[in-house]
Amino acid sequence: MKKNYSRLEASGGFFEITLLVNGTKREFRVKNGEFLLDALRRYGYKSVKKGCDTGDCGSCTVIVDGKPSLACLIPAFSAHGSAVTTVEGLGTMRAPHPLQTAFVEAGAVQCGFCIPGMILSAKALLDEVPDPSEEEIRKYLDGNLCRCTGYVKQIQAVKAAAKKKRGGKEA
Amino acid sequence: MSADKFKVVNTRVLKMDALGLACGEPVFTDDKDFNGLLYGRLLWSPCAHARIKKIDVRAAEEAPGVKAVLTWREVPRVPHTTAGQGYPEPSPYDSFVLDNKVRFVGDRVAAVAAETPEAAEAALKLIKVEFEPLPAVFDPFEALKDGAPVIHDEKDAKNIPDAAHNIAAKFEFEVKNGEWFKDADFVVENTYRMPYLQHCAIEPHTVITYFDNFGRLVIRTSTQVPFHVRRIVAQALKIPVKKIRVVKPRIGGGFGSKQEVLLEDITAALSLRTGKPVKIEYTRRETFVSSRTRHPAAVRLKTGVKKDGTITDAEMDIVLNTGAYGSHALTVMMCSGSHTIPMYKVRNNIKFLGRSVYTNLPVAGAYRGYGATQGFFAWESQMDIMAGKIGMDPVEFRKRNYIKLGEGSPVFKAMGEGREGVEQVITSIGLYEGIEKGLEAIDWYAKKEKYRDQKGPVRRGLGMACLMQGSGIPEVDMASATIKMNEDGSFNLLTGAADLGTGSDTILAQIAAEVLGVTAGDFVVRSADTDLTPFDVGAYASSTTFISGNAVKKTAEKVREMIIAVAAGILDREKESLRLEAGKVIARDGASCSLSEVANTSLYYSDQHQIIASASHYAHTSPPPFAAHFADIEVDTETGKIKILDYVACVDCGTAINPEMAEGQNDGAVLNGIGHTLSEEMEFSANGTPLNAGFRRYKIFSTADTPPMRTILIPTYEPNGPFGAKSVSEIGINGPLPAVANALYNAVGVRLTDSPFTPDKVLAALKNKE
Amino acid sequence: MNNIKYCSFPETPKAALAALLDRRAEAMAVAGGTLVAKTLPDSVTHFVGLKKLPYRHIVKRGGDLVIGALASFDDIDRSRLTRGWAGGVLSMAAARCSSQLIRNMATIGGNIARPHSFNIFPAVLEGLDAGLRIISRSGIRTVPFSAVYLPDFRLKPGRDCVILEIIIPGKTRNWLCRFEKFARTETSWEAYFSLFMAAGVKAGVVREARVAVGALSPKPFRALSAEKFLRGRALSSASAAEAALELERDLDQLRAGDFRKEAAAALFGRFISSLSGERPGVKR
Repeated sequence: MKKNYSRLEASGGFFEITLLVNGTKREFRVKNGEFLLDALRRYGYKSVKKGCDTGDCGSCTVIVDGKPSLACLIPAFSAHGSAVTTVEGLGTMRAPHPLQTAFVEAGAVQCGFCIPGMILSAKALLDEVPDPSEEEIRKYLDGNLCRCTGYVKQIQAVKAAAKKKRGGKEA
Repeated sequence: MSADKFKVVNTRVLKMDALGLACGEPVFTDDKDFNGLLYGRLLWSPCAHARIKKIDVRAAEEAPGVKAVLTWREVPRVPHTTAGQGYPEPSPYDSFVLDNKVRFVGDRVAAVAAETPEAAEAALKLIKVEFEPLPAVFDPFEALKDGAPVIHDEKDAKNIPDAAHNIAAKFEFEVKNGEWFKDADFVVENTYRMPYLQHCAIEPHTVITYFDNFGRLVIRTSTQVPFHVRRIVAQALKIPVKKIRVVKPRIGGGFGSKQEVLLEDITAALSLRTGKPVKIEYTRRETFVSSRTRHPAAVRLKTGVKKDGTITDAEMDIVLNTGAYGSHALTVMMCSGSHTIPMYKVRNNIKFLGRSVYTNLPVAGAYRGYGATQGFFAWESQMDIMAGKIGMDPVEFRKRNYIKLGEGSPVFKAMGEGREGVEQVITSIGLYEGIEKGLEAIDWYAKKEKYRDQKGPVRRGLGMACLMQGSGIPEVDMASATIKMNEDGSFNLLTGAADLGTGSDTILAQIAAEVLGVTAGDFVVRSADTDLTPFDVGAYASSTTFISGNAVKKTAEKVREMIIAVAAGILDREKESLRLEAGKVIARDGASCSLSEVANTSLYYSDQHQIIASASHYAHTSPPPFAAHFADIEVDTETGKIKILDYVACVDCGTAINPEMAEGQNDGAVLNGIGHTLSEEMEFSANGTPLNAGFRRYKIFSTADTPPMRTILIPTYEPNGPFGAKSVSEIGINGPLPAVANALYNAVGVRLTDSPFTPDKVLAALKNKE
Repeated sequence: MNNIKYCSFPETPKAALAALLDRRAEAMAVAGGTLVAKTLPDSVTHFVGLKKLPYRHIVKRGGDLVIGALASFDDIDRSRLTRGWAGGVLSMAAARCSSQLIRNMATIGGNIARPHSFNIFPAVLEGLDAGLRIISRSGIRTVPFSAVYLPDFRLKPGRDCVILEIIIPGKTRNWLCRFEKFARTETSWEAYFSLFMAAGVKAGVVREARVAVGALSPKPFRALSAEKFLRGRALSSASAAEAALELERDLDQLRAGDFRKEAAAALFGRFISSLSGERPGVKR
């Protein structure tokens, strides 16, 4: 049987994989049973949170190959070759991304645990839909649970960021 | 003094930690790496009620990577409570770090620390336990009966009023003024029920314990109550308080589930055993089963009402299911009466009877609302029923019967939180204004008219509910603060208050800034570190703004005096002629100097001293915040589905120190309450095993479920509060259940007294009506 | 997953099949992985990730609608083709799946490969008489979707065969359809029930009818009495009410319980009413 498929092989239960994280090529050594969430946290990306580990809360949201995805449901080795974005890659306190600023200014950050995931989902939405309706925002963010805010100011934040983006003020 | 004179308080100030959080700064408990960290895991009981006859850990101890295995034999046996409350805690001392008996599915059996999480998990499987199952009881009414299994039969537990009948707490209070119900034209009696509910803070409970360079135990924990943690861990593990430091990093939500010593004791025990840093991180399932929950309740409310709208008598009988241990058993039960009954003017007789009962189910504890949630479901539903009986408009009926400014209630003195309360009268109340604003915002009267004549299977209805809560526990809760001044005219604010995402760091800085004539950004706030910050009971009982806020205000006032003393020397003016404004000290004649000049003078130039002060505060009253909630709903009578079309919550929290943050708090509380109303309940099998212990099946609301909701702040001025403030964080969660219950009745004539109002219940009730 | 030794990303169906059938390791194919990722059997040592297979298309082919098995729920929700087919029911169903994050990751192929009461598409595909194009040891062939869950279907998708495409027959293009998922919340995985309802109507008479019930069992259930009642029936408010009763009879067979039965029948009755142009629900 011909073997024309690219293949990774584990050694001692560990895979060596390559990821592009926030634009930087990184080599990760991951256990075969490990999920992308734990691997990312081990390698210092602490913004990716473990809220439930079953794909139900969205606090582990990362953008994988352009789509917001749940890092707790992705076997780490299966992310080999993918591009991953975490909120650390969006902006920093010195140079925050407009969405980060929008969330702060709308008063949408309370405990902050859900925020990185929420911001990444919002970013992907605004990249695709520059003028989302409230219904579209709610649908797009429905995988990111928050128990603090009632989502009221978070939706306002996304609307404000969208408006600013359309105004051409920031990229 | 009115709110429009404020410069910092009651203005828009961005939450200080918001940008860092939005940028993913590693500030939560688990975001710090430790060298040589061991991973702790707990072995949970699969039995609802059993003795541990034998427990053999040899295989586990010898497993690769395992550094410690603890059973009841290896830890001190000190009966204590896990409830984060002031000492001596008003909760039974019925918990042990590890015991030779298990009392619910999910109770602790043993603990393991290993080099990797997998090794710890594998070690758990190697622990051999021989259980002697005991009969279990899951219904509090069954547990009360003679002959029911006794859950706490241990001799050394303390403060259990009646262990033989599984009563963890009981309280009775009566005001008698003649024969019961003699004057009533109608007597209404109903029992209102709420199930097990979970806080669902998105960050699970996480603790890391380690030793610092002086060999002291440091507990890094996601907690609402750092000082109580220190004291209770010291007690439970028999180590001196001075050997422990508790540090609270950023917390991913608590809502009461972190007002508890849930993991700190066992994690510390593992560190003490191994000498190494140990982390225990609850899984989501463990958070559901083995942390804390709301107390399921059955509230039997019997009230008498006259045709003229007078409430003649009220008898409130509440049975709470406190689960396997009695943390918060007394206090939640008392708050169900002390935070509700005073709202109502009852002419003749009042009786409150409360019992918290042990069952072999998960442990109930503190949860936002804290008994008032259960209490108001009963009371505010019953208000509509009584109004209906006498044919009075429910709005009118309410306005006649609620407490007013200057009035008091016999309940205030008789019932506090865990003990006698304090006499008080209402010193600020925006309730009536809230009612008017809410009626207008939801377009109550026009809609009621429109809904009068409906056809078709989908019906609409309106309902309202009014609420009060408390602001801290009077003469119990204490807070303190320290402020010191820096060269550039900035200040360090050290406060024991625990910011759990509520933004207390920010609002406390705002209060201090208002006193000292600077901005909130001129404060460097450090909070909730038992080594560095002075005492604070912690974040619960809606106490932070009111009590910690007053402590900060007093501290700032002391600092102001010190600044003025130095400035008087610099400017050569009388102290009485000086004021602080915009970062300067200004004399009446305009002469001024900067705060930085004052600081440098005091630090370096003459009469050198550090401008620093501390102050404490406890209150003699607990001025309640008030709220008026309104729900506009749609009910599909063929499927039973309830859809909320509009929800308005008007809240009076006195002066809102930070209006935007106060709104945010209230929004979150309201949505949590709506979740309780339409979706949330924990389910159990016949043998006490939790069935939906996860977000997959216990559904909290997402953006897609959230109805249109508005918070409207009703400003008042509370003379006992810092700059007129009261507290705000709990009250919002208590409105949705009664408001929606009332709207449901208005829409389709069906009264549900058993939450959540799922479609099957609505449909069944509609059928029964016919 | 602790025994995984190999991970492959095949780029053609033949390569994917070869990976699965390679005797040196027990292999399993995983697409979006959302439900499966945490429950991979311990015996699996070869993870065959399908993310590189070029089967994400949604196209028309010879009058039929063809959906690549790796199209995500989000792809199907947004595609103009699926939105315009059979009243947009495929997009409607995709949109009702759980949350956006799951919709981004989960694929239609993964959603039908193994029976599960959480699955959204089986009831829909059952109702649309869909076919599946599968590659197995015997080559590439098309089988009716309804055959895949039958006990005599020898193949196990993801283990010894790979689903490549879902074929929605051209005849369904103008069917009037609706998908209802009745659950406690909008993002629930589980539901009280889901209902796929379809009717081909000509001149006020129902020519074709399909009613499939999901969420009550791992495999979808065809409500045959309701379908039989409708076929050839002239539409009227009386026929809507009677059709709803027939559905109740079907659901009794499933032992669905009173509540599910009545709520499902109510929604079904409204669908039938809407076919004759009457406004569903509110009669004034």
